[in-house]
Amino acid sequence: MFSIIKWTFWITFWVLVAAFFHYTLPQKDIVRVVNTYEERQDLEGWTRMFWSAPDDQVASLINRDVQFIQAVTPEGDPIVYRNEDTGWGWPPYFKLDTANLYTEAADAVSTKAAPEWYVIKHYGWRNFYLSIFPNAISLRPVDGPDAPKGIPWVNIIVLTLFAAVVWGIWVRWRRFRMRRIDPTIEAIEDDLAEKGGAVRRWLGTWRKKT
Amino acid sequence: MIALLRLLVMGFVVLTVIYVCLSFYSRAVRRGKLQDKWEAGPQMVDRETFVRRGLERYDGSIRKKLIWGVYVVPLVLVAVIIYLTNHS
Repeated sequence: MFSIIKWTFWITFWVLVAAFFHYTLPQKDIVRVVNTYEERQDLEGWTRMFWSAPDDQVASLINRDVQFIQAVTPEGDPIVYRNEDTGWGWPPYFKLDTANLYTEAADAVSTKAAPEWYVIKHYGWRNFYLSIFPNAISLRPVDGPDAPKGIPWVNIIVLTLFAAVVWGIWVRWRRFRMRRIDPTIEAIEDDLAEKGGAVRRWLGTWRKKT
Repeated sequence: MIALLRLLVMGFVVLTVIYVCLSFYSRAVRRGKLQDKWEAGPQMVDRETFVRRGLERYDGSIRKKLIWGVYVVPLVLVAVIIYLTNHS
């Protein structure tokens, strides 16, 4: 029973951690930009956290215009990015050039007949049930749909540092447990065993002697 | 601008806590090392004087100034990210 609770807890915990990194860390897609548009979005409810909080947005403001970049993957699947400043908040991309990126994206539009391929760096998830969009960070032209996307240095560095921190905490916790907690529990168990013996002996005095 | 101000203030507070903790920790480590050195050495002066002199030398050392990296590294990192995101 206890081990089921323990396993459920840790699996949930690590799934959440993995989801957090998958959402926050940059990813790169090779796409053909099809169009850019701007649309008024209602930003309320719990999905509010999947949209940026611009600098001067009043807390009570629940809808505003958001820029979008429409694109098509080499396989022909549609993908829509939002284009919003992250500003000085989370996640720490410090993206302030939304209008410039919008211009670049508009300039990158190409047709199916004469495709031009671009790498779009983004973070976030596309989910049409929740109406959430990944946020485009930057784009640059590449030779073709199979061009290399480059080594994901940021992801390597961040995940390595995170693993190092987790490992450090885990080792220290293990050492602490072996030195302090385990001996204490053993002492308590021994103590209980001893006391149990005493109680049983005392109960024995009440039994009928035959 | 409010967001920038908030980031700067929060960052300053957090980094200051780290800086102060690290300073005390580093000084304590240095003190321990000096005491060990005095135990192992010829013990020409008494322990307090030896440790005090050693810590005075530590206060002027490059090693202590390296702790300023607590402020410098994140600032440089943020500057680099801003440059990479917006200028390239």
